[in-house]
Amino acid sequence: MSTTTPTGPPVAKADARGGRLGRNTQRLNEIGLIGAIVVLFVVLSATAPGFLSVTNQLAILRDAATIGVVAWAMTLVIVAGEIDISIGPAVAFSSVLLAKATGEWHIPFALAVLVCLAVGLLLGAGAGYLRARWGIPSFVATLGLWSALRGLAQYMTDGLPVPLEANGLLDVLAGSILGIPTPAIVMAVLFVVFLFVANRTAYGRSVFAVGGNAEAARLAGINVSRIRVILFATTGLLAAVSGLLLAARLGSGNGGASVGLEFDVIAAVVIGGTSLAGGKGSLLGTLLGVAFITVIGNGLVLLGVNAFFQDVVRGVIIVGAVLINVLLSKRNGARAS
Amino acid sequence: MSNTDVVAEVRAGTKRYPGVTALSDVDFAVRRGEVRALLGKNGAGKSTLIKVLSGAEHLDSGEALVRGKPLAGLGTRDVAALGVATVYQELSLVPEMTVAENLFLGAWPRSRGALDLRRMRADAKEAMARIGVDIDVDSPVGALGSAGQQLVEIARAVGQRPTLLILDEPTSSLAAAEVRQVIDVVRTVAEQGVAVIYVSHRMDEIRQVADTATVVRDGRIVETLPVRTASTHEIVAMMLGTAPEAVAARARRPSAEPPVLSARGLVSDRLNGLDIDVRPGEILGIAGVLGSGRTETLRALVGLDRPASGEIRLRGEAVRPGAFAAMLRRGLGMTPENRRREGIVPLMGVDENIVISDLRGVSRSGVLDRRAIRQAARALIDRLAIKTARPGTPIGTLSGGNQQKAVLARWLHAGSDVLLLDEPTRGVDVEAKRQIYDQMRLLADDGRAVVFVSSEVEELADVCDRIVVLRGGRAVAELSGDEIELNRVMALAIAEE
Repeated sequence: MSTTTPTGPPVAKADARGGRLGRNTQRLNEIGLIGAIVVLFVVLSATAPGFLSVTNQLAILRDAATIGVVAWAMTLVIVAGEIDISIGPAVAFSSVLLAKATGEWHIPFALAVLVCLAVGLLLGAGAGYLRARWGIPSFVATLGLWSALRGLAQYMTDGLPVPLEANGLLDVLAGSILGIPTPAIVMAVLFVVFLFVANRTAYGRSVFAVGGNAEAARLAGINVSRIRVILFATTGLLAAVSGLLLAARLGSGNGGASVGLEFDVIAAVVIGGTSLAGGKGSLLGTLLGVAFITVIGNGLVLLGVNAFFQDVVRGVIIVGAVLINVLLSKRNGARAS
Repeated sequence: MSNTDVVAEVRAGTKRYPGVTALSDVDFAVRRGEVRALLGKNGAGKSTLIKVLSGAEHLDSGEALVRGKPLAGLGTRDVAALGVATVYQELSLVPEMTVAENLFLGAWPRSRGALDLRRMRADAKEAMARIGVDIDVDSPVGALGSAGQQLVEIARAVGQRPTLLILDEPTSSLAAAEVRQVIDVVRTVAEQGVAVIYVSHRMDEIRQVADTATVVRDGRIVETLPVRTASTHEIVAMMLGTAPEAVAARARRPSAEPPVLSARGLVSDRLNGLDIDVRPGEILGIAGVLGSGRTETLRALVGLDRPASGEIRLRGEAVRPGAFAAMLRRGLGMTPENRRREGIVPLMGVDENIVISDLRGVSRSGVLDRRAIRQAARALIDRLAIKTARPGTPIGTLSGGNQQKAVLARWLHAGSDVLLLDEPTRGVDVEAKRQIYDQMRLLADDGRAVVFVSSEVEELADVCDRIVVLRGGRAVAELSGDEIELNRVMALAIAEE
């Protein structure tokens, strides 16, 4: 019974950000996450020695960047109804590429950085092209990358770390600016950029439209293929950025690094309330998801939990968080109808 | 007929939702073997009445009975056990499974723990025979057309041996030719003594299928009357609560201007040397039975499909076939036949669904301007009388008619002057239909070209200035102005080669 009598122009108090079904659910989810993070902080500061220390808080920020830098791009990929699982190997490969380029191939550092970024972008765009042009599911296209890039990174280095020669730029990337770890600053800047792109540009809104109904978006004149290529090019680029930060931090290119990173990134996005079915999601949610996962990881280490068992705990918590999210949206949906 | 024939009834039924009385002191009864049409605008109370009779909702006051048993406190399963089977608009079949598997979905016959495939097939054949339909029970449901799927859906309901069968717009996604099949099946089922409640917006099919019609408006029953003696205008007036206007009295004004868009000799899978001219300032109807190439014509014109041969000219200039993006830029716009699948982005707001066709127009140096979006959307929402709580309300929550108006608004936002509308009134209630006709007329008066594809010949004859009749992928006739008569169009569309 949706029809009401027409009474003049619609109510003026409109939200121009565009109503999204389940926005309330999204709010609830975000409030819930903030609550969960607060509880984690309280519990960990009481139980984990040194949790609240400045050093540890900065370490949390640094760790968050490992996931966060790529998570912003991943949010848009998942909103568009796609997935990119090539992150971990792409990050490792990028770090190897930097070390090889500067060390063995004697390319100037700044140029090597650009090469790494370009290669990352092109690899991502390639996966996007496979998806857009030939309809290969993005899971499969990026699974191919996942395997090939890990293999290539390990093959190029014989499975050994390739040391990087120290230089000023590398030190900045590995260090801090005004006391804040550089990776965290990169993460923050990219967050603002992505927040803007997602909500205030034609590209961002087109991503939501493609995820909500790709055929309708196409008939409305949106170049769906182009959007898909750009999406994966972006995750490829940011994985390369992440790889540079990693190389700077480790002082080497490491083909075996970042194992399983893709799943941390995807988990952060999903915990943040972005639907794997596409069409809805929020970067703010992803930000909270990144914080949630990072704080848990940090706490488990400080509490001295066995490294293997940490994975078990994280697995349970991730599924639990998403379950709560699903239950929330169910209840909300039932009330709405 | 005696009272013992009454299968289901509602006595003084009232049902309220927050802010709206969906049913208000309603008395309603259906008897064995009767096909009762349920008519009314969206929101009139039809769905609530159906939900009450199927046990999905309960009355606030009054009572609902099936075979004399009160439904108060019963769930849908209990009510189904009493013999009520409901087929909803949305199909609930698994396309990859066979017809037989779908018929017994979740209740597959078993013997000693394993599926009894032989019995399942035999039972499935019997179920299809019971409704008098010849469909291969081994073919996957996805391979059937919409009509076939709808029939499987009905066969599944009938397989439960119901005493009351409720069909909620069973034909809303079907073309006119397929509707015939459904109607035959419904008549067959009714002859077996089943009471049928049939919801539809299509008057012509109601005349063929139903004995009596109950008209609902604002939660009340306006009247129950035999369909054969009532005129369509009378019934529409009851549904709307206004005096009928003589739609047909409007003068038709075929345009004399040179065509803005024309095609010569289009050949593709479904098109077979199609010629067509689209002129500014008029509503051009495209008539034809299912498979005559109506949708394909639109898709070829707008550049979604690339014809194997033939020529398309826009404002006199030859255009590259299949250049969809370029055609949109040059002023074409198409609203697709399947609104839900290809038209709307359900989770997005009405505003964004409208401006999506031209995001540049609401951007300033590459940045979306929220005020511009709001203004553009609000202007079109007002102009097309789209009923939405707020511009940002997710479009998926709106009624079909309002969704359709928003999809049309999209091309007004883009400033398109050639509008190709594929079945814009399908699954839309009478009031919204009339508004859509009015809009088409205003757009044509405004000098735009409107192409109106419909499988309902009546509305084409009512609304269009010129009608091209397609048959077998060719334009076989063109009627303009006073030559347009319902019988003539109909005869041309279904004539044998």
